[in-house]
Amino acid sequence: MFVTRSEYDRGVNTFSPEGRLFQVEYAIEAIKLGSTTVGVSTPHGVVLAIEKRVQSPLLESSSIEKIMEIDRHLGCAMSGLVADARTMIDHARVTAQNHAFTYDENIKVESVTQAVCDLALRFGESVHDEEAMMSRPFGVALLIAGIDEKGPQLYHTDPSGTFMRYDAKAIGSGSEAAQSELQDKWHSQMTLQEAQVLTLRVLKQVMEEKLDHHNVQVAQVTPEKGFEILNETQLKDVIETM
Amino acid sequence: MSIMEYNGGSVIAMVGKECVAIASDLRLGNQALGISSNFQKIFPVTDRIYLGLPGLATDVTTLQELFRFRVNMYTIKEEREIQPETFAHLVSSTLYERRFGPYFIEPVIAGLSQTPSGGFKPFIAATDLIGCLNFAKDFVVAGTASSKLFGVAEGLWEPDLEPEDLFETISQTLMNAVDRDAYSGWGCVVHVITKDKIITRTLKGRMD
Amino acid sequence: MPAMLSTQPHGLPHPHMQTEQGPQQRQFNPYTENGGTILAIAGKDFSVIAGDTRQSEGYSIQTRYAPKVFRLTDRAVLAVNGFAADGNMFVKKVRQRLEWYRHAHAKDMPLRAIARLIQTMLYARRFFPYYVYNILGGIEEDGSGAVYSFDPVGSYEREACRAAGAAQSLVQPFLDNQIYFKNQTPAPGTSHPTHLPLPTVLKLVIDSFTGATERHIEVGDGLEIYVVLAKGASTQALEGIRGIQETTVTNDGERVFIIQRELKKD
Repeated sequence: MFVTRSEYDRGVNTFSPEGRLFQVEYAIEAIKLGSTTVGVSTPHGVVLAIEKRVQSPLLESSSIEKIMEIDRHLGCAMSGLVADARTMIDHARVTAQNHAFTYDENIKVESVTQAVCDLALRFGESVHDEEAMMSRPFGVALLIAGIDEKGPQLYHTDPSGTFMRYDAKAIGSGSEAAQSELQDKWHSQMTLQEAQVLTLRVLKQVMEEKLDHHNVQVAQVTPEKGFEILNETQLKDVIETM
Repeated sequence: MSIMEYNGGSVIAMVGKECVAIASDLRLGNQALGISSNFQKIFPVTDRIYLGLPGLATDVTTLQELFRFRVNMYTIKEEREIQPETFAHLVSSTLYERRFGPYFIEPVIAGLSQTPSGGFKPFIAATDLIGCLNFAKDFVVAGTASSKLFGVAEGLWEPDLEPEDLFETISQTLMNAVDRDAYSGWGCVVHVITKDKIITRTLKGRMD
Repeated sequence: MPAMLSTQPHGLPHPHMQTEQGPQQRQFNPYTENGGTILAIAGKDFSVIAGDTRQSEGYSIQTRYAPKVFRLTDRAVLAVNGFAADGNMFVKKVRQRLEWYRHAHAKDMPLRAIARLIQTMLYARRFFPYYVYNILGGIEEDGSGAVYSFDPVGSYEREACRAAGAAQSLVQPFLDNQIYFKNQTPAPGTSHPTHLPLPTVLKLVIDSFTGATERHIEVGDGLEIYVVLAKGASTQALEGIRGIQETTVTNDGERVFIIQRELKKD
């Protein structure tokens, strides 16, 4: 892909003669540079876990924010250009709140995912002669976890605006190894705790540093408590069980 | 501001089997402000006629006195008790005298009239504020809750109710109607007139 | 429509002086009141929504059959009363939003969501309102019968029963008495039922409308009663009822029936 660079690399909205949108493909590549992020869905809730790359001993690891709440029943983990995700999560939050305001009910996980993906393809779009709002595709992939009337669900979105539902999904630099591990270990009747342990085990395998409570973060969405990021004690407990 | 709604209050009368009932609320207000919860609007005319006077409170008092005077004059001159039909016409003509400067009252009359055979026949009537008579066979209503009274009465009333059933029907009708009217309420009084007695009961109502 | 255009001359132009006419102000009145009454009662596993079919303007009857009650989905029925043009347009817009919702979320909108949607739609027109009183009836997601009532700018509330329109003041206190058992004390050791059975509710609806027809000139001609039954609810009460028709679209959930009756036409 990188051998034959052509003029089609430049226009974000221009297909190459082979029918490809290079900028979108490169954006998808950008995610593979991001830190590993794992999501696991169980009948009792969805677990999200991310690796925090603490590049310097002077870096305050608690300031790395890669798991965010969208609504009480929706959480999101990311990999890639984290700054881009802010735009998307802002949009997801507004969409979720608007839905609750207008319909007095929680938005479905699929609907909020769809809304985020609608935004993903807005790059290069301009109204009349005005400057386009976004100049390039988002360089980030999301794992959107949530619970609605259809139960716990996990969705994956990428910069092309494609979204798919997964039982378990890994994204980021270690995603290939992580995904095959998930495929081996995931089963449909996992408990929430098994899922927590699984996500960390998968992360541990692909991480260069030794996994501890500073360089990972775990969050979950449950029917009882909605979205929550595990606190230090809870996280230490899971690491211990692992 | 309507003068008919200045003090508030409602009256209803119903026909039963050999009996009639008349009932009113007990509120006296000054527009939205409640003044009294024991303001009588129904007055006995004879042993078998009761008169309800919902409307402007000052006219309630004035008319009550005026009718007492005129009924007394009738009794003295005629040397007999006035019959409900006659009294209704007395009310009508008294009000029509003031055709262009009326009393702001819509009277309701309930009574038992004597038949030639010596029995008693239920009689109810109502007029507007200038004395246009309405002889209804079932029920008559007047006052600030009149539309509500019509609605409930139309649903609850049935022919040939015995005195106790008539009491229940008129009470329920009045209470539920005045509960939806801000200008009426604050308790009720009910009179059931039968050939040999008058049942008068004061009912507790919502005080809001 | 002469009633909708009014002329107010400024000053008092002399009848014989045609030459110097003062300025005239014309005003268009965008609203009319079209009479009629609607009513809804919720039961344990059903909901009844009814309305008369007379449409009038002032003292003249425009039509003896103009429906005011509309099936939205298999579990929601909307009754609309007030200015008929606004009412019809509002129902159209609600239906459009329901369709969009179906496309966006792949399901029928739940009743409480429709209720909230109606609030936002009405409040969006806070300063040029739809001149209509809405009553929404149907089945909630938990299978219970529900009634939501609205004012023209979107205040709403879930209730067990509600009347609105021309004869609201006639019907509502009757319902207070017969549905909520207001001013009635239960016999010692007993209590009032929280939910009335369907046959009782239907009787009350018919009595309410015959009563309102008797005493209110804007009510009459025809009566349309919608009955929404929760999933699995018994249809026994509806068997053998004169003029009943089923209007359900799907066949494994709630069911909608319509009963059409005549009311006095005078």
